[in-house]
Amino acid sequence: MIPETQTAVVEPVEPETPYAARWATPWGRLWHDVRSSPSAIIGSVILVLLILVALLAPLIAPYGVNEQVGQPLSPPSAQHLLGLDDGGYDVLSLLMWGLRVSLLVGFGATLIASTIGAAVGVYAGYFGSWTDGILMRITDYFLVVPLLPLMIVVADLWGANLLHIIVIIGVLSWTMTALVVRAQVRSIKGRVYIQRARALGARDSRIIMRHVVPQVMPLIVANTVLNIAYAIFTETALAFLGLGDPNQVSLGTMIEHAFLSAAISQNAWWAVVPPGILVAIIILACSLLGRSIEDSLNPRLRSAHLSARAFRMRRVAEDP
Amino acid sequence: MTSLLEVRDLHVWFDSSTGSEVHAVRGVNLTVQEGERVGLVGESGCGKTTTILAMMGLLPSTASAAGQVLLNGDDILATGERSVRPHRWTDIAMVFQGAMNAFNPVRRISAQIAEVLKVRGAESPREAKQRSRELLRMVGIPADRMDRFPHEFSGGMRQRAAIALALACNPKVLLADEPTTALDVMVQAQVIELLDRLCDDQQLALVLVTHDLPLVAQVCERVSVMYAGEVVESGPVDLLSQNPAHPYTRLLFASTPDVEDESELASIPGAPPMLDRAVVGCAFSPRCDRAFDRCEIEAPELRQVGPDRVAACHLNDVVPSGRSDSTAESGDLSRSTTGRDSP
Amino acid sequence: MSRGNYLIKRSVAALLTLFIALTVNFLLFRALPGSAVSDLSRVPNATPALRAELARQFGLDKPLWHQYELYLYQLLHLNLGVSYGNSAPVIDNLRTALANTIPMVALGTFFSIVLGVATGALAAWRRGTAVEHLSVAPALSFYAMPVQWLGMLLIILFGSILPTGGMVNQFLIDPTPLQHLQDVFVHMILPAATLGLVLYGQYTLIVRSAMLETLGEDYILTARATGVSQRRILRRHAFRNAMLPVISVIALSLGFIVGGAILVETVFNWPGIGLAVYEAVLKRDYPMLQGAFLVLTLSVVFFNYLADLLYFWLDPRIT
Repeated sequence: MIPETQTAVVEPVEPETPYAARWATPWGRLWHDVRSSPSAIIGSVILVLLILVALLAPLIAPYGVNEQVGQPLSPPSAQHLLGLDDGGYDVLSLLMWGLRVSLLVGFGATLIASTIGAAVGVYAGYFGSWTDGILMRITDYFLVVPLLPLMIVVADLWGANLLHIIVIIGVLSWTMTALVVRAQVRSIKGRVYIQRARALGARDSRIIMRHVVPQVMPLIVANTVLNIAYAIFTETALAFLGLGDPNQVSLGTMIEHAFLSAAISQNAWWAVVPPGILVAIIILACSLLGRSIEDSLNPRLRSAHLSARAFRMRRVAEDP
Repeated sequence: MTSLLEVRDLHVWFDSSTGSEVHAVRGVNLTVQEGERVGLVGESGCGKTTTILAMMGLLPSTASAAGQVLLNGDDILATGERSVRPHRWTDIAMVFQGAMNAFNPVRRISAQIAEVLKVRGAESPREAKQRSRELLRMVGIPADRMDRFPHEFSGGMRQRAAIALALACNPKVLLADEPTTALDVMVQAQVIELLDRLCDDQQLALVLVTHDLPLVAQVCERVSVMYAGEVVESGPVDLLSQNPAHPYTRLLFASTPDVEDESELASIPGAPPMLDRAVVGCAFSPRCDRAFDRCEIEAPELRQVGPDRVAACHLNDVVPSGRSDSTAESGDLSRSTTGRDSP
Repeated sequence: MSRGNYLIKRSVAALLTLFIALTVNFLLFRALPGSAVSDLSRVPNATPALRAELARQFGLDKPLWHQYELYLYQLLHLNLGVSYGNSAPVIDNLRTALANTIPMVALGTFFSIVLGVATGALAAWRRGTAVEHLSVAPALSFYAMPVQWLGMLLIILFGSILPTGGMVNQFLIDPTPLQHLQDVFVHMILPAATLGLVLYGQYTLIVRSAMLETLGEDYILTARATGVSQRRILRRHAFRNAMLPVISVIALSLGFIVGGAILVETVFNWPGIGLAVYEAVLKRDYPMLQGAFLVLTLSVVFFNYLADLLYFWLDPRIT
């Protein structure tokens, strides 16, 4: 056979990427990673379920939030699966009502905290020099001041109701978001397309809204999810120290009541254990989801050069 | 005559995150004689780095390997990590790609070399320290710099220190992976000259992995060309460069201008095949300018094309004067091979 | 020399932050509307004579700037005022409270660091196996629990074996120093354990990340190539280098633990600075509150500075 000299058909083979083309945007990558991460899935499912329960509480809670149904600290029974608390209220129902309030505080405070944090981070990171200097000094203060005591003082002075609590927690929890957003904005700022836009005379606000913010959004989202966990915990802390809204039932106030009413000494574990477990579940779900998003945003960890398992030796399979 | 080092039918697979395997090294054979300089060239991703890492068993836990690495006739890769570890550094040593980061940043360079001497060379701390300084002096690092931290060394000096480290236990074979990439041209020349001299002085065999062909021509006696995890041609450097027996070799050498420009592969359009699935036919055929129908179906085997040369290309099977290849004669093109069958 | 410059820069930054914190502290407790020091009607049972005395002591009759100067002057002389609660100098109360908090928090922190480092290193080394998940899951779970609730849980579980309230046994008459120490220690176990369990999870995650990152570094491959044993590489290269950022993070987090002990001290009735803050809020004891804030802020600034110094000392690359 005599080979003909021919020009090979040039069909460039697609370079290997872990993602199909449609996942190539930052949001696409994030979605792909989150979908394939078990912790992210578990976290999201739990959160969705809990949000549903909270929203549907008026419909599905066995008893009303103000319905006294029996002797305080009665043990679990067929009618009251988790018994009664120190006021004679059904614990299971209170869990659902309390979940509503706790989630409300969590989301509300985090909305405030993330907005402030993102704004501070973007402005400090983008404008640099004086703006950055001043904003960073302010952030520094909030980093060193003991936050919980500060919240306690402010809550005590201002009066502890739900709205005040949401605002207090929100206004005092933005520092972490600000720091991480600032770091990323600074690195984005140096990128070529931003410099080009600036050179072409585009207005800063336009550059920020069209280029910077979309790039930092995934990071803000990750931080927001983690902030929710923090806010919910802080609510329980404030409630425990007597600074919850006295007119509301939240998971935090349930724990507080359990403590004050010496449910412990009466071995009424059903008044103590359930609210804490529920808080732990929410926080765990937020942590799993938030960390999973964060991991997706970090450059891939290189594989370890050293590990407990060594590489395997094997025989080459004979061709059939 | 037993070769100093012989790699026989080496395969390496990597687990990929999608669950399948990537067959990164597909049956590589390599021989190195004592004191010989062998080049291993190919484009990025062809498996040359993985090959030499496998020769020292430096594969991650996500990898698996098959084949033999014979050091003076003994298979050191027999049971993987366990059998190869005693031979590391004392028989085979390596200068890594990007030796910039080969050193622990928080410890002094002389101390790091001394530590290896203490542990592997069974020397006393004082002896180790002395010898470490001697080694560093041998590679041209001034005495007042030896006790500094890695970040205080320039790139070229760090590369030299990496060479000193590699020679610490008097190995018989030195594997050098792109020792001069990321160095500027003047420094490159110095480092190569150093390597050359040291290998001569110590009768070291050298396997030089690079994509810099003029470098191979300058330093090595023989060269193996790798593509998509296989050796496609192997032989003396001057013969290969003047009269290549494989289209890829030809394109490689042809597209290297005389000025040391490393973008030599810009003129071969396309990209190598993904190795997470079996390759049908010749791996290079999609990009080959001389490919014909047989190339897409049947993978060529490495065949003798000269006294000391082998190449894997169907073009070499066609010989005008009567002597013809049995495969072509019999027209048995339907036999699917992956080039690994023993002759 | 640039390393010296770095040191000076960090020291100045720490002092600056401290100064800002002191100033804001002042403003918070003096100048804000509704602030009880300026609004003396909020001081419980304040007689006119007391009010006049307080006004004089805090210089409330003078303009703000003078008050500020007075404040700084008093600070330098360690005069933090007198507590409304027990009429003792604030500084003495704080000293006692701090002396009670520190051992308990130290024990808990020590426990959390040791546990965190062990589980984190194990998780990194056995990455991808069940061991990793078994190390990380409990860590995350404890980390997610509200600390006051965990304290209550431990009381339920161990209340019959270990003391659950206070720092000492009221009924132990005239204890010898050794007996007293034993008594305090036994009382310390549950609160310290609560603190330790809740905190260790964050260290697990940090250590795991740091170890994984370090294990992927080139010099680890080089060390493996030189034929050095795995154990030695882990000990002398991987672990040591991974601990660098970890030490920094640990030092940073220490600053916050003192303040975060409020909840634990409330649950276990431990007479430390956390409880002091809480009680000061309840009793409107503003001098005490202001002093406590000062101490807590100071501890954070101090530990941040310490973390900087440590990192500077341990990492030769910092310039």
